[in-house]
Amino acid sequence: MKKLQILSIIAFLIFISWYTLSCTSSTTEMTYDSSKLRKASAEEVEKIVEAVILANDGDLIDIPEGYYSFKTQLILDNKNNIQIKGQGMDKTVLSFRELKTGGEGVKLVGNDILIQDLSIEDAPGDGIKSQHSDGITFRRINVTWTNGDKSKNGTYAIYPVQCKNVVIDECIASHSKDAGIYVGQSENIIVKNSLAFGNVAGIEIENCDNAEVFGNTARDNAGGILVFNLPGLPKSDGKGTKIYNNNVYSNNHVNFATPLGEDPNGNTVTMIPPGSGIILLAAKDVEIYNNRIHKNKTVGIAIANYHVTGFPMDAPNWSPFSSNVFIHNNDYERTLKLPDLSKEFGQLIFIYNAHGKGKTQDIIYDGFFDKNISTTIQTNPMNICLQEEEINNLHFTLFDLWEGEKNIKATKDYNPFVCKTEVVTQVKHLSLR
Amino acid sequence: MRKKSLLKTLFYSLILFSILECTSKEKEHIELWDASLISDIDLPYKNINAIDLNEIPFDNLSDYGFFQGLIRNLDPVEGVLLYEPASSLFTDYAFKSRFIWLPKGNSITIQNDVEGTFDFPDNTILIKNFYYPVDFSQPEGIRRILETRLLVKQRGTWEAYPYIWKDDQSDAQYKVAGAEIKVHWKDYNGDQVMINYLVPNKNQCKSCHNIHEQLVPIGVKAKYLNHTIVHKEESENQLLKWAISGKLSNYSKEKRYPSMVNYQDTSQPLELRARAYLDINCAHCHRAEAPGSTSGLFLTYEEMDPMKLGILKTPVAAGFGAGSFKFDIVPGKSDQSILTYRMGTNLVGAAMPELGRVSVHQEGLELIKKWIDEM
Repeated sequence: MKKLQILSIIAFLIFISWYTLSCTSSTTEMTYDSSKLRKASAEEVEKIVEAVILANDGDLIDIPEGYYSFKTQLILDNKNNIQIKGQGMDKTVLSFRELKTGGEGVKLVGNDILIQDLSIEDAPGDGIKSQHSDGITFRRINVTWTNGDKSKNGTYAIYPVQCKNVVIDECIASHSKDAGIYVGQSENIIVKNSLAFGNVAGIEIENCDNAEVFGNTARDNAGGILVFNLPGLPKSDGKGTKIYNNNVYSNNHVNFATPLGEDPNGNTVTMIPPGSGIILLAAKDVEIYNNRIHKNKTVGIAIANYHVTGFPMDAPNWSPFSSNVFIHNNDYERTLKLPDLSKEFGQLIFIYNAHGKGKTQDIIYDGFFDKNISTTIQTNPMNICLQEEEINNLHFTLFDLWEGEKNIKATKDYNPFVCKTEVVTQVKHLSLR
Repeated sequence: MRKKSLLKTLFYSLILFSILECTSKEKEHIELWDASLISDIDLPYKNINAIDLNEIPFDNLSDYGFFQGLIRNLDPVEGVLLYEPASSLFTDYAFKSRFIWLPKGNSITIQNDVEGTFDFPDNTILIKNFYYPVDFSQPEGIRRILETRLLVKQRGTWEAYPYIWKDDQSDAQYKVAGAEIKVHWKDYNGDQVMINYLVPNKNQCKSCHNIHEQLVPIGVKAKYLNHTIVHKEESENQLLKWAISGKLSNYSKEKRYPSMVNYQDTSQPLELRARAYLDINCAHCHRAEAPGSTSGLFLTYEEMDPMKLGILKTPVAAGFGAGSFKFDIVPGKSDQSILTYRMGTNLVGAAMPELGRVSVHQEGLELIKKWIDEM
């Protein structure tokens, strides 16, 4: 009898370990097949390079159907009112597999720029970057990598940084080693009706002001949607993000930002535990509502402060705390899969959550707060507000990590956080773009 | 004399032969440049003072009239002035020669900022030639010029015009879209080296020459020129020389201008050498006013904030450029610093600087490693 018991325990353990391992999914799914396209000649490729390099204000650059292999970066230099148009995401493909130097495949700088209806693949660094632009619209742009081995993929797929008035609409971003759609150090942003899958992070808003993220699908990434504020940047902090009507599901992809088995490096994204729906890190003024947050095996929404990274926090005009957050009317569905064990945060949730070992969480709060405001988190000093209908049935965990690993505390008590708050964004003027 | 050149030819063809022998195994036929391709076509004389500046860019480098005699000798005409910055950007071990031309009667004024930036008159032309001696131990010997980059200030703004040299070295042609050129040389150790040299496309110039999204020169500032150079038996401080030749209008002998050391000058303190290296190789981009500002890593010679210099600073958008490391610089530990990792890799997307090299600058890397290790 006893023997049987031991056997069954062993069988159970084997089952558990198999289960845990098999949950770490990976995908190389493609949304189009560029091998079927006509290969553009070297002359045709050069013509496009020259058209972009020598563009004048007001130009429309039309790129015919075909597969274009570039050996040099495609750079638009500080022009106004430019449109670059392909014939469709599966018809016009710009490949940067042959690029031997440079940070990104396409770089657009200027004002009132529109790029639409094309795909960009296999850039060694970032797919498409825009910097210092006022008025930049990406519409039906698909950026991806075709490597079977995803460790060779580039950093960001769609990458506007230090821009104003950014619209990302009906785009697809996949298989990037960091964030698929990454908006950094920018103001006035719409990311809508887009799809991000197979990335480490699906959509990321970092050190930005006034952003709305809606109507998107973020699936099969390690983390679905991220709002971060990192220290020490020229745009020192950001606030005002609304995340609504998104589909954030099955973000259970392995985190391939660093090689398997290697520890996270200094890039914060390397710490993200697979199975994360939405993560806030040092985020200010964020409203998350009407989203479908399903089957993310570790956590639906995580509210974190920069303390959890363990990195230095000394930076001017920047706060490590997440504050003024309003989470309401979201639809949660957990999965039977076990939370991640590959990253520290995954382990924290797996082991120490308030609902029992191995339980997926819907909402967690790491519990750091500004002690200049209050001596206890019970007063909700950072104004973190939850208004979820069935909060009783949700897995909510409030951690207390002040004493470090040796004394991690966790509670289910959400009562201090039942409140409402206001988050203001204003992006109406972008809807005409 | 003739015998000697015959011997030389024999020697080079032997080297070429041995290279071909090695590479033929790959079945890929690699056409190598050799000195026999050089031809002595003498082009008609152009008077630089009579060219129509509004027609710039010209199709050929020879259309400008910068040089007299065979153009490949890069012998400047009167008014085209050679200059050398204190420290020089690494570009795959290419040798460089630089000249400046100003329209007659015009001059530069030095600004009062920390770097001593210059205010240039319209139609200033900066000329930078990139070449490889066939044998690095004989820098004055046979050489192959690959490209000449012009920066021209037209109606208040700078424009970049890249010219690629013909194999026969008889002239160079304007090329917007960049190029990839196989180049080989014998290095200081006597080893044959071959690389695919990448000529940037016109707009890639601005990846480095960029302040507030305006194209600007890099090496022509007081801090880079405030030192003595020897040229044609003359030895003089460059700023003074420019002032004497009428190119600098507000130079004052009494005033102290900023200056930077030559990172190769081992008599200088390690700190200054390392900072000079980072300045000329990185700070054109890694400064608050330039594209690399996204990283928050600022590497100008004048930067004092340890975090902005990368000390225990986490990366932002480094992607796999961070390797397996947490901080840009870990004092005392160059082997755990992202800075040296990115300098030491050729992986596109991780390699820094992003442009201008397909090989690692071993000497520069050693310098920065030493600096970090001694922190």
